[in-house]
Amino acid sequence: MKARAVLIIPAFNESASIERVLQGIAEAQTGCEIVVIDDGSSDGTSEKAAAEGAKVIRHPFNLGYGAALQTGYKYALSRGASFLVQMDADGQHDPREVEKLLAPIEAGEFDLVVGSRFLEPTEYKMEPIRNVGRWLFRSLVRLAGLKVSDPTSGFQAMNLRALEDYVDDFFPTDYPDVDVLLTAYRHGLRVGECSVHMLKATRESTLHGGVRSIYYVYKMLLSTLSASAEKRKS
Amino acid sequence: MNKTIELNELREVFLSAPESDSARILAISFSILLVATVLWLVRHRVLREEYTPIWMGAAVCLVVASVSFDLLNTITRLIGAWTTSSTIFFLGELFLFLICLNYAVRLSKTSLRLKNLAQEMALLKAQVEQIESDSKAA
Repeated sequence: MKARAVLIIPAFNESASIERVLQGIAEAQTGCEIVVIDDGSSDGTSEKAAAEGAKVIRHPFNLGYGAALQTGYKYALSRGASFLVQMDADGQHDPREVEKLLAPIEAGEFDLVVGSRFLEPTEYKMEPIRNVGRWLFRSLVRLAGLKVSDPTSGFQAMNLRALEDYVDDFFPTDYPDVDVLLTAYRHGLRVGECSVHMLKATRESTLHGGVRSIYYVYKMLLSTLSASAEKRKS
Repeated sequence: MNKTIELNELREVFLSAPESDSARILAISFSILLVATVLWLVRHRVLREEYTPIWMGAAVCLVVASVSFDLLNTITRLIGAWTTSSTIFFLGELFLFLICLNYAVRLSKTSLRLKNLAQEMALLKAQVEQIESDSKAA
């Protein structure tokens, strides 16, 4: 029987959390085909994911979070899937919320739905510095015409139209965030959002602190400005 | 005797200075060495042919500039430099800047191709594993 949607989980050295995440998805009974994209892990992430019954696609070496997501999109397309959900392997996203993300997509209301931590008040607390970044990016995309309250959320669902757009070469290999949402919007996709509860990640993001965070802000600003320059297709 | 020289006169003194034979010989020797190195690298399959025109072009430009001192002098006057050596440094820097940009573009394209290739490989491998597991189950 064909699954309702493909649920992709990009993972890089997530052996500490992947089992728990997959068990949570199984308990949530999402009706999705679960695919873990192992982005060149060296800690046995693939083996643990396979033991939990997930389909595992392994990159021969580390390509980046964005590339892992895109491999998932390509897989979904090759399987003839109409819908896809993506969630992180660090346990931050609650699989019980998959239904909330998928429902508006299946109903044809949107092409892409972002799970937002800030659409409604939730117990999620963000560090002040990250809040400043979120505010900056949110303001930038608003200026470009896209209204989303949580543009950096990786908990998303999409339909075939968005999938076909995302397998294109514009999709970044490292951090697909605000810039990708804006590009999708400029490509004429209907971008919506729904409120979700998110937990604290079990480990710190590699983006926090140091040169990487500076590069992240620089890269986001550049690609967001570049995406803003594109004309929106109807 | 204390004689004041105007800046333009001083520049003219620099520009009309006789060319140095040693500099010319050095430039021609360097060009020949560059061409020989490029050919050696191509012959030993270290450098691909499509990457050679830019270096051959640089060697030819260097020979032309060292043989035709007038041309170098004209360029120096055009760009407002004082000495021909400044012009050579300026053109050298410009060349390095352009070649870096060119390689950054090529590197971006190659990274993209590598990413697509690795993704394709991962998907095919997963497909093969699925077929193998299905055939075992059957």
